[in-house]
Amino acid sequence: MKHFEDQLTQTQVDQFGKASAALLRQGTQSIPKDIKDRLYAARMKALSLRKPEKIRIQKQVLAGSARNWTSGSNGVWDTVGWIAPLVVLVFGLIGIAQWQDDSRINDIAEVDAALLSDDVPPDAYADSGFMAFLKNGPLSDSDSTSDLSHSK
Amino acid sequence: MASAQELSDFLSSVEQRAFKQAVYAVRDDDAAMDIVQDAMIKLAEKYGDRPAGELPLVFTRILQNRIHDWFRRQKVRNTWVTLFSNMGKKTDDGDDFDPLESLSAPDDSEIHQDGAHKLEKSQLLQALESEISKLPVRQREAFLMRYWDELSITETAKAMSCSEGSVKTHCSRATQTLAKALKLKGITL
Repeated sequence: MKHFEDQLTQTQVDQFGKASAALLRQGTQSIPKDIKDRLYAARMKALSLRKPEKIRIQKQVLAGSARNWTSGSNGVWDTVGWIAPLVVLVFGLIGIAQWQDDSRINDIAEVDAALLSDDVPPDAYADSGFMAFLKNGPLSDSDSTSDLSHSK
Repeated sequence: MASAQELSDFLSSVEQRAFKQAVYAVRDDDAAMDIVQDAMIKLAEKYGDRPAGELPLVFTRILQNRIHDWFRRQKVRNTWVTLFSNMGKKTDDGDDFDPLESLSAPDDSEIHQDGAHKLEKSQLLQALESEISKLPVRQREAFLMRYWDELSITETAKAMSCSEGSVKTHCSRATQTLAKALKLKGITL
């Protein structure tokens, strides 16, 4: 036939395939009885190893939500696997920043409290004359050290 | 979810076909029986809770994987046999022992000893089965899944882990080869 010599069309390929399959199906009826018996035994063994119905139902109830999560090829757990560390890292950084802010505020509060509770009024520190007095006046370090040496 | 009865019915409907397909591939009844039994057990143990509609595709894939595993084991076994045969040759000085002689070649005639039918249809069937068993592995898989298992092109591609285009190519080449081989024997389908 000519179509065997040339390339078969898709329709001819399908026709040939179906004809072959029909013939092959008939061929399964000629399988020897001992083979059929062994296949039957194999099937019974496979069915006996099937998980019991009750266990499967219980497992389904327990893992119901997880099954929904894990539907798909690899499941949502893969996504959670790399998102969770990122979330932890972000919350960690926010916590550290918060702790540093609190620490800075506490330091400033301590300085403010020291200034307010001191004998010298806070306005004095803004006075340039007072600052010059502290530097060059009788309370400066150089004078005090010279006083100490004289006294010795 | 497939019930026990549905699973049993499914296995009953595919076991003989699966056996034949395994025989075409491995050319040994006992090995084919082991392969089919392993495939059925794995389906029941691991995938018995799948919906009944999914069982054909899953079983086909398991069966093909089992056949591939058998070929891998054979390859490893043959490698070791060849290795030890070579070692034995070194100890036997002057011996003309050929390690290849210890490897038994597959005998095509064994496949068809079961039938011994004289009718024209059975001869046709034998010729077809013989030619199918000679096909390259991928072509044979695609051809049988597509036409005997009646899987769609998409399902066949999924079971074979290849593209739909590859399935079409494999099927087309398998058909061309079979048609030509049968025509040489004076057979047309």
